[in-house]
Parts: sequence; C-alpha cells; structure tokens
Amino acid sequence: MEVNEAVEFNDWCPGCGDFGILRGVESALAELKLDFTDAVIVSGIGCSGKLPHFVGGPISGVHTLHGRALAFAIGIKLSNPSMKVIVDAGDGDTFGIGVGHFVSAGRRNADMTMIVHDNRVYGLTKGQAAPTMPMGEKTKALPKPNINGPINPVALAVASGYTFVARSFAYDTTLTKELIKQAIQHKGMGLIDILQPCPTYNDINTNEWYKERIFKLEDDPEVHDPSETMAKMTQALKNAYMPEDRIPVGLFYKNEHIPTFEERLQANIPNYMEKYPAEQEIEENGSPSTSIAKLIESKRVF
Amino acid sequence: MRLSWMIGGAQGTGVDTSANIFGNAVAKAGYYIYGSREYFSNIKGRHSYFNVVISDAPQHSIETKVNILATFDAETVFQHFDEVKDWLIYDKALEPMSMDKVRSLEPEIAEEQAAILEKAGFGLTIADIVKYLNGKGVKTIAVDYGPLMKNIINQLKMDPFIAEKARNMLCAGVSFGLLGLDQQGMLDAIKFAFSKNEKFLNLNTLAAQSGLAQAKSAYSLKELPKQGHRVQLDGNTISAIGKIYGGLGFQSYYPITPASDESTYIEANQLLDSGKGDKRGIVVLQTEDELAAINAANGAALTGARSATATSGPGFSLMNEGISWAGMNEVPVMVTYYMRGSPATGLPTRSGQSDLKLALNAGHGEFARIVIASGDHAEVFEDAILGLNLAEVCQTPVIHIIEKTLANAYSVMDESTLAMGSAKLERGKIVFPEEPEAYKRFEITEDGISPRAFLGHAQMYYTGDEHNEYGHITEASSNRTQMYEKRIKKLDTASKSIPDDKKANIVGNSDTVLLTWGSPKGAILDAMEDLKADGINVEMLQVRLFSPYPKELVGKALQGKKRIIAVENNYNAQGAEIMTESLLISPTHYILKWNGRPMAKDEIANAVRDIMKNDTKKVVLNGGK
Repeated sequence: MEVNEAVEFNDWCPGCGDFGILRGVESALAELKLDFTDAVIVSGIGCSGKLPHFVGGPISGVHTLHGRALAFAIGIKLSNPSMKVIVDAGDGDTFGIGVGHFVSAGRRNADMTMIVHDNRVYGLTKGQAAPTMPMGEKTKALPKPNINGPINPVALAVASGYTFVARSFAYDTTLTKELIKQAIQHKGMGLIDILQPCPTYNDINTNEWYKERIFKLEDDPEVHDPSETMAKMTQALKNAYMPEDRIPVGLFYKNEHIPTFEERLQANIPNYMEKYPAEQEIEENGSPSTSIAKLIESKRVF
Repeated sequence: MRLSWMIGGAQGTGVDTSANIFGNAVAKAGYYIYGSREYFSNIKGRHSYFNVVISDAPQHSIETKVNILATFDAETVFQHFDEVKDWLIYDKALEPMSMDKVRSLEPEIAEEQAAILEKAGFGLTIADIVKYLNGKGVKTIAVDYGPLMKNIINQLKMDPFIAEKARNMLCAGVSFGLLGLDQQGMLDAIKFAFSKNEKFLNLNTLAAQSGLAQAKSAYSLKELPKQGHRVQLDGNTISAIGKIYGGLGFQSYYPITPASDESTYIEANQLLDSGKGDKRGIVVLQTEDELAAINAANGAALTGARSATATSGPGFSLMNEGISWAGMNEVPVMVTYYMRGSPATGLPTRSGQSDLKLALNAGHGEFARIVIASGDHAEVFEDAILGLNLAEVCQTPVIHIIEKTLANAYSVMDESTLAMGSAKLERGKIVFPEEPEAYKRFEITEDGISPRAFLGHAQMYYTGDEHNEYGHITEASSNRTQMYEKRIKKLDTASKSIPDDKKANIVGNSDTVLLTWGSPKGAILDAMEDLKADGINVEMLQVRLFSPYPKELVGKALQGKKRIIAVENNYNAQGAEIMTESLLISPTHYILKWNGRPMAKDEIANAVRDIMKNDTKKVVLNGGK
C-alpha cells in the first residue's frame, strides 16, 4: 500500500523554534490518540503555515491563506463539530492580517485550539517586524527601529473572550505539548502563544535571551465559579503585562463556564450535535430530501 | 390586460408593506403580479416607491408610466406626477404645499420636475400639480387623511403616533377601490399579513375600509378563474428556498445590501424536515467580514456539507483571495452574488450589471469556475439548485448572479413554474476510501475531477501552494504542468453536463436578436409583446451561463442575424464583450442603461423601434426616478 506520509524534507532553518512546536504538536496528537478521523490541523501562511505538511503521523492538514486560518477553521468546526480543530498560525497571520478573526473567535468560543508561532518577525519575507515586536526594537533585518507598539497576545485573548489562554516557549517541548493537550481537552476556544526564536532574522529575542527571563507561572488560573471571573481575568492581564525582564509561561486563564458556540447553536438546532451539516443526508436517489412545502405554503396567494 | 400601480412615501412609513399587501390582494383575485421596489440607502425618511404591475398573464417588468399613482406624502407627488396616466391619489391637506419645502427631494430631481410645471405655466404646489394633471386628463382623488385617521384613532383609542402609520393602508384601500374587485379580497390580504398581531390587524383593517369607501370602481376588474396554486416570492427569498431545497448545510454572510435578507431568511427557517421524520439544521454564521465569510464557507465545504455565502459587490471584492484558494483546492463552494450599482459603494440600494467581468475573473490565477446569471425569479430557484450541484460535480467555486432588480422585486407565479418535483441533486464523485491513509485528494484523472473524500474520512492535505496528488507542496515543473491543466479542464465536463436550456434561453425567431442576460430578460419579453402588435418581430437570446461560456450554442443562435442588439444594465455591455471574445463577432447595436434603475418594457420597445427605424447604434436609457 502506498502510504501518504508527511513530506520528507522539512525546509525550516536549522535551529528554528518551529521544530519545537512541531514536536509539541506531534506528541500531543499521539498522546491524545488523535488522527485524521477525528482531528485536523488548519494553518495560515509563512514558515508556521507549513507545519501540517511536516507532522509525522496520520493527520489531515488544511494549509490556508495568510490570516485566514481561523476563518476556515470555524467553517470546518461548525459543519463537523465532532472533529478536534487545531489552528496553527504565525504572529503576523494572527495579530496582523488576521486580527479581526482572532478577536471574533473569542466572541464565539467555539471548541477549538489556536497555536501561535510568536517570533516577533515575518520570517519568510525576510524579517520585517511582526505585530508582537516591541516598539523601539531593531532586529538586524529592520532598516530602522520598530515604531509600532506591540500586541500582547495573552491580554488580547483574555479581552476577546478566549476561555483558555496560555503561553509557552518553543524549546520547552514538554510544556508546549502539555499546554496543547490541555487546550485540546478544554471545552471552548483556547490560545497557546508560543514564544520562539527566529535564528535567522531575530538576533535580539534569541534562545539565550528567553532562557534568562522565562519562569513558570504558579497562580491558579482557573475560574472555578463564575463569580471569580473578574479576579482571574485581572490576574491574567497582570501576568500578561509583566515587564520583559521576567517572562511568565504556562496557563494564564481558564474558564469553562462560558457556553461554546456549538452549544449556542444547539439551542436553535436541537439535534445539531448528531446531525450536523457534514452528517446530513440531503438527497434520496437524486431527489432532494429537504421539505420546502411549509416555506412555499407560507408564500401562497391561493 | 396590464395595469400599473405605484405607491410612494418616506422610508419607514410602510410603502413596502402596503405594496406587498395590495399585490397579494389583487393576486388573490386571480391576477399575476410583478412588483419592483426602489429605495435609498437610508433607514427612515428618504423617498421610496414600489411599482406593482397587474395582469391576467405572467409579467416580468415595470414600465415608466403608471395608471395609478398612490400617495400619502408630498414628495411622492412632486417626484412622480409626470409618470401618471389615469389616477392620482393624494392628501388633500397637502394642496398648499410647495415643492421647495420638501428638503429631502434631490435638487437635480426638483429642478427637472419644476421645469415641467413652469413650462406648462403652473406654480409649484400640489394644488398646481392637480390642476396640471386634470388638464392632461388625469383624474385625481383628494383624500382627507387627517380627519379619516382621527376617526380611526378615536374608534380604537390608540396612540396616534402608532396609528398614523396606517396611512399607507388607507392609501392602498383607495387604490384597491379603484380596481373594482371584491373589497373582501383586500381585507383577507391584511388578515393574512397581520395574523399574529391583533392590534395592527384591527388598525389596518379599519384604515383599508376607510380607504375603500373613498373610491368608486374605475377599472371594473373581475375575479379571474383560478387553477392550482400561486406563490408571491421575492428574489432573496426564492434564492434562499432554492438553496435550502438544494441541500445547503452551511451559509456564512456579512451584512450587506441587498444580500443579507437571503441569509436571515435561511436562519429564520434553519430547522427543516429532511425526510423519514428527521429534522436537519442549516448552520448560518454571521461573520466578522467577507474574508471570513468566504473562507468559513470554504472550510465547511471540505467537511462534505453543501456550503455557500451571499454578498454584494464590495463584499465580493473582499472574497477574491478566498475564491482563488477554492479554485486551487477544488472546493465546491457557492457565492450568491447580489449585484448592485458599483464601483465602490456606488448605488448601494440600486441595481446594475457592471460586475459580470469581476465575477468571471475574481481571484488571482487561472482555474475553473462556474458563473450563472438568473433572468427571473423562477430561474433564481433553478439556478440556486443547479449551482450547488455544479459546485460538487465539478469541484469548483460557483458564482450565482442575482441583480438587486430581482432581489427586491417579487413575482406572483404559478407554483408549477418552480418545477419542484423534477429537481435533482447531483453530488459528483464522492468516495469513502477503503485505504484512507493512501488517499490522494488531487488524483490526476481523465476529466480532471478527482474522487472527493471529506475531512474525517481519509488522510488528506489541502494547500494554496502548488501541490502533488496528496496535497503536499511541490514546485516541480512537471507536476505544475499537470495540476494546472487538471484544474482548468474540468470546465469541459461542466460544459457537457449542463443542459442547453440552462445555458441560454432563445425566445422568438427573427433576424433581429436582442442579446442579453439577467433581469433585462423580463423587460424584453414584455416589450416583445408590444412590438409584435406594431408588426415588429424580434428574437431574444438570454445567456444564463457565462463560465463555461456556451460558445457553440450562442454562435449558432447568432449565425446570419442581421442585427445583434446588446441589452444590458451597464456601460460596456460586458455580457456582449464576453460573446465577442468567444466568437469574434460584435453586436451591431446597443441598448444600455447604467442609472441604477431596472429596464422598463416601454423603454426597450421604444429603443428597438428607434434602432429599426433610424439604425441608431446606441440607445442609452435613463428611465426611473
């Protein structure tokens, strides 16, 4: 049998943080026993976008357009809510060209997982500043220091309504894997912002730079009762905006008291979780099986 | 027999409602109706109007003159008095009102209308207009709206602010009285419309009765024998119902005029009987923008759900990249493209056919796509189903064009016209692979179409990059050559699988052919009847399919014709340009209109007469306010 394996040649730069994220994704899928029958990876554009093609293991991948991974993902998820949908995108994808989708995904809280490769640069176009690069920073590819302020992914996720918000470091593959697993198992929309060096274009935020600053969060991030929501959100924002001499990683916020988008749909379509669009029979021997008799009758003049 | 009625008023004062109810009441007496709506991009206050054409045979167009002009405000009188042939209904209290007091009247229109009155030696008040019209043989009915409404308010003890809204129905009542039909028909139509709200039912019934008492029969219409069922459907609704019947499972949209009504209708009716006592629910997703709308629809299509979105020009422009991805990844997705006045925001609530070439070329790159354009409400229904079928059979994006003219117009038609019983759903090459790890989503095949498995049923990869049969990225030149061709040659399959009558309509037989597409079809068909009475025989060729273009069929139909007259709602006759590109022949004459208003049948008839008599090469129409 000819087997559809991942492409043999991985063309990321040596030392790229993407490798750590890839290992994290592969291990999480393996430990959760997820494959193409129940999961799909939806990616954006750039180095990160190639990830589904590189995953070793029986998974399906949808490598979409720049910024639009979340848009494709919501269509897949709502048509087939039985699937675990894992979105994998870059910082430019997510917080630049696609930031509207990022915010809207929080408002919906569909049961999906978003992994962001956050290296602060646009690697595949030769190192321009990404939306997560701090103001004033001048990596070697920039002609002038960055004069845009940065987006704080964790804070934006909390403010947008994400119900699982985490940060990891690409070379900590154990933490990355654990957080991906938790996010997949979480009921609702999850973000894991993964800090990663770009060894080719980011000569400031290097592996060593991160290792000197990173520490593991110890706070309990979970909303155990809805009354704690404000306190836990405040705590998450405080941790998110910590000055960069110390960078916390781990879980910032978790809240399973918010209904998912699928649950909200189910209120209108009672059998939605069994008869979702991908599972609907629409014809019988070629004849439409949907009855429009009532719709037509309501428009009858006589 | 054909009778034309127009009601006008400020947006938000029930012009639309009264036109629907009036049309429904007349239709209940066995008449066919075509109703066409014009309005501003505005919530309340600007002038809107509704043309309702009544006939004993199906009609598909309006005309520039109306038999009855029904008004309950001043602006409608000022704006439309020169269009009325028989009767003007107006508010007596407004007689002293002068045109220059109506600030919402657009200055260009005010100037034109004032010039008509001044030329005839009249002043600018409504009383002047009444005199002017009486002199031309138009009869007028002065309605005491104020006192009549006061009676109703006293009788119902209602808040005057709410009750005054029923002036529209009083006006419709006077109009219905002129027709001479059994008055009960009007009351039945009101009952049908307000069955869920007793307060409004009583109010509108009293208002209509009050109006009916103001007029004597002028047209003596008789109830016609009725057979079978007739339905009253607008373009947005019939497209929605077609998609639902066609098995739609997922619809995404971002709010835009005149497309959103389709999506909200689907959402309102999302839970449907799906045979064997089962229900199925259509997911309708209001997205954050049109980028999300097209790409969510792309994603949904990969799961096996029939998937679509609906938009208009500005939104469609944003969808370009998503359509390109759908072409590259052979995604069965349908975009219902409600065409309005472009470019940019253009005339957002008016119509146009200026985006045909955008639909044909949207998205970077060369790839197969299907582009269908509907010419009337029955075609909208057929094409919605056909579009969903072709998307799956050819595994390509499908663009279904419906102009604003049809979206916001309604037809009363025989239910049998919809041919629901003969509708067929074809899903193309669908597989559930026995060796799911070895599945090739983009397998090279003879006809360019690969067996399609859904996400979840096999291991598969999609990518916007050039890819191999598995869907993995490759830039190898030999693969590129093969895959590129595969994605385009599918159009041959589409071409073979679409029956001729879905590619184009040919009506009549003459050496003069009116070459058109979309909504002008209706005005042409109606004008052909009038022209025939003058001894002018013309043929209509209406193209329904633009990609793949039915080159052979159109070529044959145009062979040896003396005159080819391109009739379109745009400047360049884009549909004819596509014909020229395919067949290397050009139209001999043009009838064009780009003022945002639909073609009227008398405009077409006059233009054809002009061309036949004077060999005028290009007639530009400017009818409609």
